[in-house]
Amino acid sequence: MKVILKIRRFNPERDRAPWWGYYQVECEPTDRVLDALNWVKWYQDGSLAYRRSCAHGICGSDAMRINGRNRLACKTLIKELGNRITIEPLLGLPVIKDLVVDLEPFMKHYRSIMPYLVNDDPPPATERLQSIAQRERFDDTTKCILCAACTTSCPAFWARPDYIGPAAIVQAHRFIFDSRDHGAEERLRILDAPSGVWRCRDIYNCTEACPREIQVTQAIAEVKREILRRRG
Amino acid sequence: MRGYRVGLWEALRYRGGIGVLVWILHRITGLGILLFVSIHVVAAFFMNALNDSISTAVTHWYESHPVQVFVYFCVLYHALNGLRVLLEDFYPPLLRYHRELIWLQWAIFVPVFGLPAFFIAQGIVLGTP
Repeated sequence: MKVILKIRRFNPERDRAPWWGYYQVECEPTDRVLDALNWVKWYQDGSLAYRRSCAHGICGSDAMRINGRNRLACKTLIKELGNRITIEPLLGLPVIKDLVVDLEPFMKHYRSIMPYLVNDDPPPATERLQSIAQRERFDDTTKCILCAACTTSCPAFWARPDYIGPAAIVQAHRFIFDSRDHGAEERLRILDAPSGVWRCRDIYNCTEACPREIQVTQAIAEVKREILRRRG
Repeated sequence: MRGYRVGLWEALRYRGGIGVLVWILHRITGLGILLFVSIHVVAAFFMNALNDSISTAVTHWYESHPVQVFVYFCVLYHALNGLRVLLEDFYPPLLRYHRELIWLQWAIFVPVFGLPAFFIAQGIVLGTP
């Protein structure tokens, strides 16, 4: 099938404003959007810039707006979209070139919630053991691949870039409810700030955008509840 | 480097789900209530202080049936949607049924709003109070 790709292009060194590039690509319906982008870059216009790495929905590099919604180009099939496909960079993050955005603001929020195990106890002889139920408590949020699809689909983040965003809260959830971790108090203090969880309005874009099908809004609500529970 | 504030046009172009629409309507109805209460307070003040023709006209306007229907829409929608958000926040597992809860909210809203609105509209058409 013939597919028309409409791609938002922008080279800050050359362009004064973004513009639309149109490319016709011959695809199989079972090809992915990433395959079509690769075809454009390899055979039509080598100046097209986008991120990709594993191409199997694990690394999270190729999150972009495809037909108006955040998705991973490597997990979206052409047949899901039809033969006219619009591709744009993620919203709310500065565009470096074409579909490549600067993820530093996103990563800054991610780093702020201490995304690592905090436990000063002496290391045990073997592993820090957990029951199945304790592990199950945060299983959903371990699936995050930091693709930024959730945070950049959130209207609260669009309006206030200082909002910590769904992805950082998901990462915090992963450690807050981990029985081996001792940093929950500090993380909850960070998330209880004006730029923290209370900016979430339960809009649900994040959950619908997550390519890993994480229940993002539910995780945020669980963190809100945990803050209230600890306040007594 | 910071993220940038997304403009209204870009934001509206994002194809979010039903959650975006109910959130936007929640904001609009909230503004509607704020507008009504503000006009009510200001008009009532000037009515008492000056009793002039403008404040009388404004009072007649906000007491008219179409405005009452609009205010009823705003208050009822804002309350039901707020209640749903509260429920979801206090019982996070309900968020797995986010879409269904929104349909339930509309299922309650339509008859509770529609019946009184119908009778008010009927009164306007028939010219009865």
